Amino acid sequence: MSLFEDLKLNVEQGKKEAVLALVAQALDQGHSAQQILQQGLIAAMDIVGAKMEQEEMFIPEVLRAAKTMEAGLEILKPLLGVGDMQVSGKVVMGTVKGDLHDIGKNLVAMLLSSAGFEVIDLGINVAPAVFAQKAEATGADFLGMSALLTTTMPMMAATIEELEKAGLRGRVRVLIGGAPVTQAYADQIGADGYASDAGAAIKVAKELGAVKA
Amino acid sequence: MTQLRNASQVGRLGFLSEQNKRDIYLAALEVLANVGMRVYHEEAKTLLLEAGCTLTPQDRVLMPRHLVEQARLCVPSVVNLYDRDGTLALELGGYNSYFGPGSDLMSTYDLETGAHRPSTLKDVARAARLCDALPHLDFIMSSAHPTDQDPHLSYLLSFAEMMQNTRKPLVMTAENERDLSVMIQIARELRGGAEALRQKPYLVVYNEPISPLEHPEESLSKLLLCADTGVPSIYSPAPLAGATAPITVAGHTTQGVAESLFGLVVHQLRKPGAPFLFGIGPAVLDLVTAQSSYNAVEYLMTYMCAVEMAKWLDIPNWGYAGTSDSQLLDAQAGMEATQITFLAMQAGSNLSHDVGYLDFGLTGSLEEIVLVDEFISMNRRLLAGIEVNRDTLALEAIAEAGPGGQYMTSEHTYRYMRAVQWRPTILNRHGRERWLADGGLDLAARARQKALDLLATHQVPALPADLAVKTDELIGAFAAAGA
Ligand code: B1M
Repeated sequence: MSLFEDLKLNVEQGKKEAVLALVAQALDQGHSAQQILQQGLIAAMDIVGAKMEQEEMFIPEVLRAAKTMEAGLEILKPLLGVGDMQVSGKVVMGTVKGDLHDIGKNLVAMLLSSAGFEVIDLGINVAPAVFAQKAEATGADFLGMSALLTTTMPMMAATIEELEKAGLRGRVRVLIGGAPVTQAYADQIGADGYASDAGAAIKVAKELGAVKA
Repeated sequence: MTQLRNASQVGRLGFLSEQNKRDIYLAALEVLANVGMRVYHEEAKTLLLEAGCTLTPQDRVLMPRHLVEQARLCVPSVVNLYDRDGTLALELGGYNSYFGPGSDLMSTYDLETGAHRPSTLKDVARAARLCDALPHLDFIMSSAHPTDQDPHLSYLLSFAEMMQNTRKPLVMTAENERDLSVMIQIARELRGGAEALRQKPYLVVYNEPISPLEHPEESLSKLLLCADTGVPSIYSPAPLAGATAPITVAGHTTQGVAESLFGLVVHQLRKPGAPFLFGIGPAVLDLVTAQSSYNAVEYLMTYMCAVEMAKWLDIPNWGYAGTSDSQLLDAQAGMEATQITFLAMQAGSNLSHDVGYLDFGLTGSLEEIVLVDEFISMNRRLLAGIEVNRDTLALEAIAEAGPGGQYMTSEHTYRYMRAVQWRPTILNRHGRERWLADGGLDLAARARQKALDLLATHQVPALPADLAVKTDELIGAFAAAGA
């Protein structure tokens, strides 16, 4: 197996020690950090993404692969130029006020960060004003809201209003999701994106990022 | 003492040995004493600390074993529920098993059109009236969540509809202690006072901690209100194996037992002897599709462990039945809903809800409720067991018939046939000709027809006019105060 094949396989299998050794070995052999990132780490995560979509991998395996990829990236970071490492965007996210469900939100947060987004997780029961403050303070590109209850869904609209009041609506893209939430509801309250699951959330966030850029 | 009916001759499927049960209990005590839990309710926290719990620097409440043991001594082994008229309806305890729909389904398969659409308050009323008519559904939950109402009034408005549309006892979800206290006030009006409601509970409240190991302000407020008013309270977590609980069945059970017992201690410290239901909603996160399954086989295993632990602790339990993860009422739904229902029945799970759930607890089907009612009916017959005595051994009848004889005209057959032969109402026992003549319908279509017929004919006696007025007043005042 070639070095890169080996590296990809070990990322996919979440074997951190092996990945660290293989990244070091690749550097020793004279491969550039950029090449190792693209042909090794990112290529591995593309395979992982596809396998997840085809339901061949369990989510914890995907998360471990992502962590492993990040460990490898740590070695490369000092060697990479600014342009080599695009962060997909900064996301402030949480479960809306009155709502304590967070399993879906956590999953979306983990997968977004595996996909290269910087995620600032505000937890559960987040009031509209807090969302707006944090979005402002962190300079977020995205605001992600999750609601699992029909009783708490209206908080999404209230949060968007709060963003408007704070003059942030132009800068911050709003992404929403959760079992009772629909595309129609997103349209109704003027959210920029809706996703029915974590995989879709990443796609939508990337699309929104591209539109903005 | 309440005499509990008990199909004691029937063998039960057991997953845990006596030693396993002790080990799970001890492991749960260890979680309570050494890992600790977070409590977001100041009054409850003070209650616990004054009773001997300690607080860690990370704000976790550690609970010593003796508090759990003390609560176990205080908590009743049997909880009786009374119907709207005040007649004893359900004796929760022992191996008695009762069934009802679930609550809060956001979508409904429309009975008339088959369309999948948002649930409304009318769906709550219809489900209650249908379940009132079905003999094997014993208690009522809202089934649907009224998405057409002011969200903060939704539980209260559902409660009023349920009261009007069924005489059976109710199990309620509530947003917080404010809407719950209005429900309790209305129930007191129904019974004729606080003491009368305490004596004859009409509603049970479904409260939940948050796994792992957290007890939110709203849940504890509602739990304490129940303890104070004598309204029976469920305190059942929904730990999702693989996400908010360990993936193994033993670990899943252990965490769930610890979380429910924590609520028990709070509840019994507040009011020793107040009626309480233990339970675990043993949800499983499918780690490939990220759906919260109600029918995964590991779910069923943890569920059975939870029921066995409830028997071991001798506390009435809250359980599950009649659910399916399927998107529609198909063969998968038939398979899943009946398997979980049969397991609940044979285990003697006391108060099992969620009959009629599809789509991971997001969509409701009245046809599924009708189907499960039929299934419960059939299996209540099965689990009642077999009577073996001189007369049922039928020696005389056998002698009378003799070689080459027959039993169609035997006195023995005549005497026993109606008691022995269970009659289906929607399962098909017709031959091909007759089945075709009747329209050649499948089971789901016959269930639908039965639901439509019952809804067209079944009447529930109206509430006294003054009570209806009072209910409107109380809800009106609540709505006005909220606005
Ligand atoms: C930012 O962009 C995005 C993009 C995509 C996003 C996104 C954000 N957020 C989510 N997504 C999407 O991607 C995720 C990954 O694929 C998905 O996330 P999900 O969250 O949908 O999926 C998760 C991975 C798995 N699914 C889940 O975790 C939710 C499962 C169900 C069973 C559920 C659970 C587990 C719980 N509950 Co609750 N609970 C139910 C749920 C029924 C259901 N099937 O949804 C629901 C949502 N609960 C309900 C209810 C009523 C309640 N619950 C309550 C409590 C709980 C538990 C604490 C026990 C527990 C939550 C534990 C936790 N830490 O989150 C109470 C409310 C507490 C509160 N104030 O929030 C309580 C009121 C019950 C009570 N007795 O008090 C119902 C809501 C009814 C309604 N109409 O509003 C319910 C539909 C079940 C039911 N039929 O009764 C997508 O939606």
